[in-house]
Amino acid sequence: MAKKYLNYLSYPIGLFLAIIVFSVTLLLLGYDPISALVSIPTGAFGNPNSFSETLIRFIPLLLTAMAFLIALKARFMNLGIEGQLYIGALLAYLVGARMELVSSFIAIPLIFIAGFMGGVLWLAIPLIMKTKLGINEIFPTVVMNFIAMFLIAWLTIGPLKDPASFNPRTYFLPESTWLPLIDLIFVAYVFISIFGLAVTIKMYLKWKERKVHPMLYLALVFTFLTLTIITLSMGLLEAIEAITIGEYSIYRLHVGVFLVVIIALIIYMILYKTTIGYKIRAVGQNPRASEHGGVNVTRVVITAGLLSGGVAGLAGFMEVFGVHHYLISGFSPGFGYIGIAVAALGIFHPIGVIFTAFFFAVLQIGGESMQRGAGIPVDIIFIMQAVLVLTVLIVQKWMTTRNSS
Amino acid sequence: MTDIITSIIAGGVLLSVTILFVSIGEVYNEKAGVINLGLEAIITLAAFVGLWVTFKTGNFFLGTLAAIVAGAGVGLIHSFTCVKMRVNQLIAGLLILSLANGLANFLNFTANQETVPIVTILPDIYIPFLSDIPVLGEILFQHNLFVYLAYFLAIVFGLILYKTTWGLKIRAVGENPEACDAAGINVNLIRHLCDIFSGAMAGLAGAFLSLGYLGLYDSAMAGNRGWIAIIVVIFSRWSPFRAILGSLIFGIGFSIASNLIGAGLIASYWIYLINAMPYIVALVVIVLFRGTTRAPSALTVPYWRK
Repeated sequence: MAKKYLNYLSYPIGLFLAIIVFSVTLLLLGYDPISALVSIPTGAFGNPNSFSETLIRFIPLLLTAMAFLIALKARFMNLGIEGQLYIGALLAYLVGARMELVSSFIAIPLIFIAGFMGGVLWLAIPLIMKTKLGINEIFPTVVMNFIAMFLIAWLTIGPLKDPASFNPRTYFLPESTWLPLIDLIFVAYVFISIFGLAVTIKMYLKWKERKVHPMLYLALVFTFLTLTIITLSMGLLEAIEAITIGEYSIYRLHVGVFLVVIIALIIYMILYKTTIGYKIRAVGQNPRASEHGGVNVTRVVITAGLLSGGVAGLAGFMEVFGVHHYLISGFSPGFGYIGIAVAALGIFHPIGVIFTAFFFAVLQIGGESMQRGAGIPVDIIFIMQAVLVLTVLIVQKWMTTRNSS
Repeated sequence: MTDIITSIIAGGVLLSVTILFVSIGEVYNEKAGVINLGLEAIITLAAFVGLWVTFKTGNFFLGTLAAIVAGAGVGLIHSFTCVKMRVNQLIAGLLILSLANGLANFLNFTANQETVPIVTILPDIYIPFLSDIPVLGEILFQHNLFVYLAYFLAIVFGLILYKTTWGLKIRAVGENPEACDAAGINVNLIRHLCDIFSGAMAGLAGAFLSLGYLGLYDSAMAGNRGWIAIIVVIFSRWSPFRAILGSLIFGIGFSIASNLIGAGLIASYWIYLINAMPYIVALVVIVLFRGTTRAPSALTVPYWRK
């Protein structure tokens, strides 16, 4: 138990070192580190619009990190998330562009499935090469990334291009297929009620065990239950109001922010509460032992891989249908690779990754606002992120090896 | 028609140089059991450092040296993380990618506020007599110093890897580190050196890009060549000699589209589809030749005394 808490110590150490590197680099090159550091949180939370942008950035980061960690649990290094994201977006676009006359209640689920299938399709080739032909997955996944990027570039500059636009992009998608925008206050209500509900359930379970003084837990249960009911009813009122008045949010935040958190929770349930999840983790721990234990390793790796590819495809779908509303060449600034860093920082745990994805989104949006405001290039944020994750990984590795030997 | 083919192949030879430099280093690295996925960004960083030092001092050799040192430095960070601290090599490589890329663009932004560094690229050396051969001369013997150096180094390092004791040690460390340790070879020292060497070679590739090819810095100047080098290493089955062939295939593959568009034969957007072809070829080749060779056994597996 103590070891587990020691592991968390790596985060303050990593953060400290990252801030040191950040400040020293800025000082050496003649910028003001204090005001730069302050401008990151203000840039990410300072006003409703920037907070909405942070949540928008949170969506693809969480999905790509999830995609990486599912496959990793079955010991499959999915380095091809970038490509799966693009092909998921492409397939979703091809389906979505034909949905002009279809109600959005039918169209959006269909497009959702198309995005998922796109990612699955693109990972299927490396997966078959790994499981049937015994080729290490590093090579095919990396190669498939480039094929996908070139394919999208060719399509958006060539056959699918909107001739009216100067950018390498397609026509706008029909408006009925866009992911609905949502209100920020509504998001806050829903997240607080989810949090309240989770704490209530946890406390109720502890109260039933009667390990510690029961009245304390009972008080907590009532507090959080009241909080949950109040926020939930206010959120419902807000939603009803928005629907009846037909009012649209002025910010770009779309419903995807709920979907990704739900997807993350579902993945957590699959990995830790079901038989298939148990098999996936067993194969990742020790493939040979699980083979002897009667697990079909190939089938488990394929299941985990396809789930991973699908989630990566969903990231592309949400970027295109929630933010851009058209397919554009290079719409992902390397989400597939940043997602791996996010997953590593969250110790490859679905719940931990929710927090690290949000943290990375804060850093990136804060950094972009710092670039606009103080004129310090956003690249310093990428340096900071890399230093942070590297330090955390090194410290964690050091602690586990020191304790085991 | 011969003109176009000649210029495609000559352009391919020039384009293959970066890939070849990086693959030589990466062959050594992977033979010793370490894979560095951050090479792409090391090229970019070294290209900037080389350009900036050359621009400031006016000395081309100093610039190249600085680029090599910068590449080796990033290689050292990678080897410390993966070999000493035993963090997952692939994840560490991707973090190094982010780190070096960020550093290169950040330094470039800061440098650009003074002046935009631009240097005149290294002149081509026409090898006497040989460069006068009609087609072959233009393809092979009318390039700058870096191009000859790349092919020379590929052969030299190929010979070192296969014909000397050092090479034997490197290959053994990647196959069976336990046995090497028992035989008194310092496994992790060799891996550190190979990782630093691969960084240095990526640095040399960066110096070629900025000093021998473009003469300026651009954040996308590496053009995925670091990734291609990793593909070429696997594609050429971990041999510096076959890496020459592999990088030529990619170089010529990328030279086809730009030359055809330059000659006005096809619309410009086809460049993307034609440039995807070498990757597809590589994928097919790997599937077809999957039985003939295998990766070093201890690739991506860290070593320590249990």
